[in-house]
Amino acid sequence: MNPATTKPTRPLKRLAFHSTTTCASEASAYGKCIVATYTDVKKDICKAEFVKFAQCLRRAMGRNW
Amino acid sequence: MVLSSVRPIATNGFKNLTRTFTSCRSLNAAQNPYLVFDRQAKRRQRDRAAIVNNGSRSTMVDYVRDEVADRLMERFIDIKRTFNTIVDLGSGPGHFSKLLTLDKVKNSVMVDHSAATLHRDPDSKFAVAVERIHADEERLLQVFDRNSQEAIVSCLSLHWVNDLPGILVQIQEALKSDGLFLGAMFGGDTLFELRTSLQLAEVEREGGISPHVSPMTDVRDVSNLLGRAGFTLLTVDIDEVRVAYPSMWELMDDLKDMGESNAVMGRRTFVHRDTLAAASAIYKELHGNEDGSIPATFQVIYMIGWKPAPSQPKALERGTSKINLQDIL
Repeated sequence: MNPATTKPTRPLKRLAFHSTTTCASEASAYGKCIVATYTDVKKDICKAEFVKFAQCLRRAMGRNW
Repeated sequence: MVLSSVRPIATNGFKNLTRTFTSCRSLNAAQNPYLVFDRQAKRRQRDRAAIVNNGSRSTMVDYVRDEVADRLMERFIDIKRTFNTIVDLGSGPGHFSKLLTLDKVKNSVMVDHSAATLHRDPDSKFAVAVERIHADEERLLQVFDRNSQEAIVSCLSLHWVNDLPGILVQIQEALKSDGLFLGAMFGGDTLFELRTSLQLAEVEREGGISPHVSPMTDVRDVSNLLGRAGFTLLTVDIDEVRVAYPSMWELMDDLKDMGESNAVMGRRTFVHRDTLAAASAIYKELHGNEDGSIPATFQVIYMIGWKPAPSQPKALERGTSKINLQDIL
């Protein structure tokens, strides 16, 4: 049940694990950027934060997409 | 019918290699305004959900429906009447029927569109005699004759019915005079956290939005709809069930196991993993609880309506009052 104790193997589960645990700080930075602007969100308004989050995810997943 | 999106992917040594994603897109239903949901897809989702791991996943995620069935039962018990037979419309495995007791009801007829869900739980879990009818609840009058039923109960199934005014009319028609309709359905604020997170993520990442959470009925509309269908002595109230999850991913897993995945006509069946990851991050920052979990709101509208009968109390004619209100106020 606890995501921190068992490492999941299925791709989507791994994405879930890495996006909430491994890359938690990058996710949080991106989320905070959205919250700061959420009444007027445009495409790529938080691109810089998301790129960091996405890079972390790709590193953690060990693959690119 | 088939939507394919092609986008470049950078792979070691293979520059400009493209990978094609194909996802099946359901029929767009521009021809019928009452066709919002893909009923066949919904039936498949629920059938599948009910048989995963022999139904153990499905049983594990009964918590929302069991809670709402319990609250609906409180309203049912408040009705001082005993019934021979009630119809449990869109019963699922029988969340509401399992709570029935013999001093109130003798038989329950469960009707559901998904055979696997309907037959998930054995008869031994019910205190009353149950009969199961596998039928599309949208075509209620093909299952029951007009003026034939004492009571019809619906616990969390009407939110997937395309023609809500139509189903209420059918329920009213199927009831005997002075028959009871008691229902619980998800209201417009249900899963608003998930809805907004996915919308923000899609706008910021992809520059547009698509339906991921169903449109749901507003509370204000329900009493109008009941009145329009010909019910009297209406009672409508709302309530919320809030559940905390570790993250958006667990919520989405559980929704899938409940058979409550997206079944809106014209939905995108493919969501980019960047968009999903973005939505998860937004969900946590925008709606997250202090302890790091995330909340999910299930708004439930409860409704009671009666088929008109001469024996029911009615408002007096205008001007027949004998006491002047001015004397009292």
